[in-house]
Amino acid sequence: MLISIRFHGRGGQGAVTASKLLAQTASEMGYYSQSMPFFGAERRGAPVISFTRISDEPIYEMSQVYHPNIVVVLDPVIMKVVDVFRGVKEGGWIVANTTKKPDEFVFGQEYLNIVAVDATGIAIKNDLLVAGMPVVNTPMLGALLRADIPLNIEVLEGIVARKFGKEGKKNVKAISEAYEFAEVKLIHGSGKRRYPKKQKIKVEFPISTPAEGVAGKTKLWRDFRPEINYDKCNDCLNCWLHCPESAIRLNDRVEIDYDYCKGCLVCAAVCPKKAITSEREVFADV
Amino acid sequence: MYEVEILTGNETAAYAAMNSNVRVVAAYPITPATPVVETISKLVESGKMLAKFIRVESEHSAMAACIGASAAGSRAFTATSSHGLAYMHEMLHWATNARTPIVMAVANRAIGPGWNIWADLGDSLSQRDTGWMQFYCSNNQEIYDTIAMAYKLAENRKVLLPAMVCYDGFVLSHTAMPVELTEFGDFLHEYEPVWKLDAEKPFTHGNILPPEEFAELRHNVQKSHDRALKLMHKVEEEFYELYGRRTPLILEEYKVEDAEKVIVTMGAIGSEAKVAVDSLREKRVKAGLVRLRCFRPFPEKQLKELLEDKKIYVFDRAISPGSGGPLYQELKAALASTPIKRITPRIVGIGGIDVTKRTFERALFERKIWIKEVIS
Repeated sequence: MLISIRFHGRGGQGAVTASKLLAQTASEMGYYSQSMPFFGAERRGAPVISFTRISDEPIYEMSQVYHPNIVVVLDPVIMKVVDVFRGVKEGGWIVANTTKKPDEFVFGQEYLNIVAVDATGIAIKNDLLVAGMPVVNTPMLGALLRADIPLNIEVLEGIVARKFGKEGKKNVKAISEAYEFAEVKLIHGSGKRRYPKKQKIKVEFPISTPAEGVAGKTKLWRDFRPEINYDKCNDCLNCWLHCPESAIRLNDRVEIDYDYCKGCLVCAAVCPKKAITSEREVFADV
Repeated sequence: MYEVEILTGNETAAYAAMNSNVRVVAAYPITPATPVVETISKLVESGKMLAKFIRVESEHSAMAACIGASAAGSRAFTATSSHGLAYMHEMLHWATNARTPIVMAVANRAIGPGWNIWADLGDSLSQRDTGWMQFYCSNNQEIYDTIAMAYKLAENRKVLLPAMVCYDGFVLSHTAMPVELTEFGDFLHEYEPVWKLDAEKPFTHGNILPPEEFAELRHNVQKSHDRALKLMHKVEEEFYELYGRRTPLILEEYKVEDAEKVIVTMGAIGSEAKVAVDSLREKRVKAGLVRLRCFRPFPEKQLKELLEDKKIYVFDRAISPGSGGPLYQELKAALASTPIKRITPRIVGIGGIDVTKRTFERALFERKIWIKEVIS
């Protein structure tokens, strides 16, 4: 038996912690386990992935997981930018943080089991917030245990209660709520899997030229959206000078390019007139 | 039974330093080795680790401080990676000739530009001539055990050499797996130096050395490496007696005896290679694996005995431009009497390219030396 799990999340949501907690749960129940995060240029809000392997035999695999049994999607926005169904085994499991119903999922496999749970709602309800951002990793683990995985919810809750100190109680409550309220359904897919074409790479000199959006439209990293109040703005250009992403444009006045603004709010911090305010960013669900 | 914890490679290295009773840690943070230092500073602050933590302004200074600490009679430890290790280069030579038995954790990472933070053994392999012993690990328990074993070996009066314990950046440094947190009190006693800096009995260290004496010093460094190699089995045995774990220091062989094609490699991909050997055997390919643990000293005799009549595929996660894979070059020299067509080089996993069991399977049947893609 070798169960492999892939977590998709955004920096700050706790995908890496979730995969480690899962490995701890498995280890405590006598299984061998491994938690392998993949790191790149991470930052709060950027897409991250992490893998967990669970087995009844020692694990020698040291590569990433390409054909997972289970995929956990911590954030609905992720599905817009990443193919979360990629490589998932036929009859495998998708555990998604969503307000949608399992029937609304579309994928290329013949059959997948969908576990749908509104983990964001559960996190907000239980006050699982860090810097105003709902942290959904513990409820998502609760929902994950509804998939085909031989782990016991009490063991997971025990570990969370122990490791999270005074935050433990509400996390445990979120886990059991997610476990209870998750909707589980076997869904029929199109059966037509698509594989992206491999691109030929040519690198001779380590140079890069200025280009717009090489990391894609990074607006999806944003948790907060800066807004300029032009009644207060005195065109001092401080925000334009300090924006680390060059996402503030100089037209007739300073304008924020919302396709690339990552929501770091440096502009709001440096504005002498306090003309830049911020609002929680909510992207439409997929 | 000791406590089993789910720890990353970096956390493991920090706990190993603590349980090896390290007394001085001087370090400067660098990705992906930073969490080693971070964990140690927390352990020191909480009082669990009885060591002096010295914050320095660079890796060059980190090694210099470790040399000073070791020369003053303390067990010293540091951790680094990639550019940080390159920056230490001068002091690495110093530590060897000063005969200071420092142990250093190295989270292997590529050296830029282009900027690449991922696994590549090129950083430590390009330090192979500094006189440090070098061990390569394939899992976190091995990192833990090797750090203690490296001290045992390094501080032996017949050796007195510094040692690097290397593990693939991110692949091991950031991957969590079960680690048995043995306490090393019975295995490692307090460090007793042959000589130490002492204000009461002053002497100069690192003074001018004329040619003949310098040659003698260098010859002694070489002889110490030879003696270290001979002592490794004894250290392995003593460790096994105490803790019941077989942690090889020289190499691990897997299904080699009846094998026709033998994979030779080291580091984390040596673990994945085990999966590949099993998979190849299911397909009736008589495959085997030699996972090298110790690159310096290079166990020429042991490798020769194992590999003399085999068809060998050397997988290097590093490149010495203008020559080839460093492990391939060394092995070719060791097996100079063997027909060269029996030894085939492969360059894999450069700059963090993921190496899967299928990478090995394909590489055994394709003629390409370089594999520059993930074979998933």
